[in-house]
Amino acid sequence: MDNRELKELMEFISESKFAEFEMERDGFKLKLTKEIAFAKEHAPMAMQAMTGLQAVAAPAVQPLLNPILPAAAPSQPAPAAAGADIYQVTAPMVGTFYRAPNPNAAPFVQVGDIVKKGQVICIIEAMKLMNEIESEVAGEVMESPVSNGQPVEYGEVLYRLRLTGS
Amino acid sequence: MFKKILIANRGEIALRIIWACRELGIKTVAVHSEADKDSLHVRFADEDVCIGPARSRESYLNIGAVIAAAEITDAEAIHPGYGFLSESAAFAEVCKACKITFIGPKPQVLATMGEKARARETVKKAGVPILSGSDGVVADEEEALRIADRIGYPVIVKAAAGGGGRGMRIAADETELQRVFPVAREEARAAFSVPDVYIEKYLPSPRHIEFQILGDSKGNIVHLGERECSIQRKHQKLVEESPSVALTPRMRQKMADAAMVAARAVKYENAGTIEFLLQDSQFYFIEMNTRIQVEHPVTEMVTGIDLIKEQIRIAAGNPISFKQDQIIFRGHSIECRINAEDPVTFTPSPGTITSYHPPGGPGVRVDTAVHSDCRISPYYDSMVAKLITYGNNRDEAISRMRRSLEVMVIEGIKTNISLQLRIMNDPEFQKGNLSTRFMDRYIS
Repeated sequence: MDNRELKELMEFISESKFAEFEMERDGFKLKLTKEIAFAKEHAPMAMQAMTGLQAVAAPAVQPLLNPILPAAAPSQPAPAAAGADIYQVTAPMVGTFYRAPNPNAAPFVQVGDIVKKGQVICIIEAMKLMNEIESEVAGEVMESPVSNGQPVEYGEVLYRLRLTGS
Repeated sequence: MFKKILIANRGEIALRIIWACRELGIKTVAVHSEADKDSLHVRFADEDVCIGPARSRESYLNIGAVIAAAEITDAEAIHPGYGFLSESAAFAEVCKACKITFIGPKPQVLATMGEKARARETVKKAGVPILSGSDGVVADEEEALRIADRIGYPVIVKAAAGGGGRGMRIAADETELQRVFPVAREEARAAFSVPDVYIEKYLPSPRHIEFQILGDSKGNIVHLGERECSIQRKHQKLVEESPSVALTPRMRQKMADAAMVAARAVKYENAGTIEFLLQDSQFYFIEMNTRIQVEHPVTEMVTGIDLIKEQIRIAAGNPISFKQDQIIFRGHSIECRINAEDPVTFTPSPGTITSYHPPGGPGVRVDTAVHSDCRISPYYDSMVAKLITYGNNRDEAISRMRRSLEVMVIEGIKTNISLQLRIMNDPEFQKGNLSTRFMDRYIS
């Protein structure tokens, strides 16, 4: 892989939704990690969605090159408050987590969706009752660290949203 | 036998239940509030589920959360410990509906004995002596005054849905009764959601004697002797012991028989305690506690019987594992409750324990969930440890308690260790001259 290919690859990854990328070829190993800190405290962002994403991703991508490759990529400055606009939706109750209203339906939300405040984003079932969980903020779904059908406890992180302030 | 039990409690009793489960080969699930996430009961249970924020109402008292935790962990039974949901008929009903075994009496028994005025009526019908007082709940102030006039002052107004020494007001005369009656009703409503109160004659200086009983699903009832719990402050027990020096063998038998009559009257199952007041060689039923109690260790020490294991076995459908005549009462045991509070003012003292070292040696038992660097949070009750001693006789039990209190190290918070030492050194205590007025001399 030459430097141009490497640069294109890095740009592609930073503009994508992937948080991590790893690649191995003969004599060459590449791992790219986006640094996004998740903070419980958040300040609503006034920036537009696309601009915001680029502002977070571009400076944060730091290529970690295997020592086999002699050239070292220039290090990027750490992003300022990249995590301040990430909101964690946590389980308000104990039960079983479900992404969709029933096994045959589409999930309430998927990664990349923009949710409104008050929108139902999942179900937690307990004692045979399906409890609809609403989002308390407006934001873009970045990730969901729980699996469908998984037991969850009070306070468990269900979704991470990037605040959109609307 | 159960494969997995969920413990709906915290602190030392949650650990106590885990010990019994480990001995029985049963897996354990600890539920906890966010404030307790580093607690020992969470660490030592096989699984743990966070069920809510620090406030008890939203965590340990949250029936839905506890049941949901049992569901997601497939727990077959729940041990409620003491306090919290242990005497909640509603909780026991929900467990039953969800096909989870509640380790304790049946919901109906919890309801009957939980309503203290009704409990009085029930045992009275069975022939157990009760204090003179109202027939059930007192409707209004006029009725209160009539009853007090009949039975004579002083009287005590008690919350019908109360218990554990809470929600009680004493009136020495008519004026005072007129003043405290509405206050007692309001306090009852605030604390127990029900303003109902009843009235009893207030005895001047009785001894508090309670009997431990066990019942099983086959109708067997046994008693495991008495505990004297006269040393109390604001109706909260400080020191408990077994046996009581005040009972002759004949009186003991009479009271034990009365306790078993009361238990049989409600077909009692699992562990329970019948509380009496003893004054001038007369005893009177005051209430029944339909749960395992804080002071159960002193009974375990003098009988050699593991009460928590018995509770679990009984709940699993087994008969009590021994007969009445197989119980051997040996020696004497005392328990001192160690609280996180100022030993003189009794103000609670939450904080972080910077240094902890328990006493040990022959005849010494410590039931606790504290350790060095642990936080005593302000959200729950202030008891941090139970120090229990056993001796061949009362003097030896006292002597072991004294030397244990002298070397017990709990730093970083204030505790009542020095108060307990004063009590152990008190000649009146050593002579066994106890009554519920004992602590009056210690309160300035």
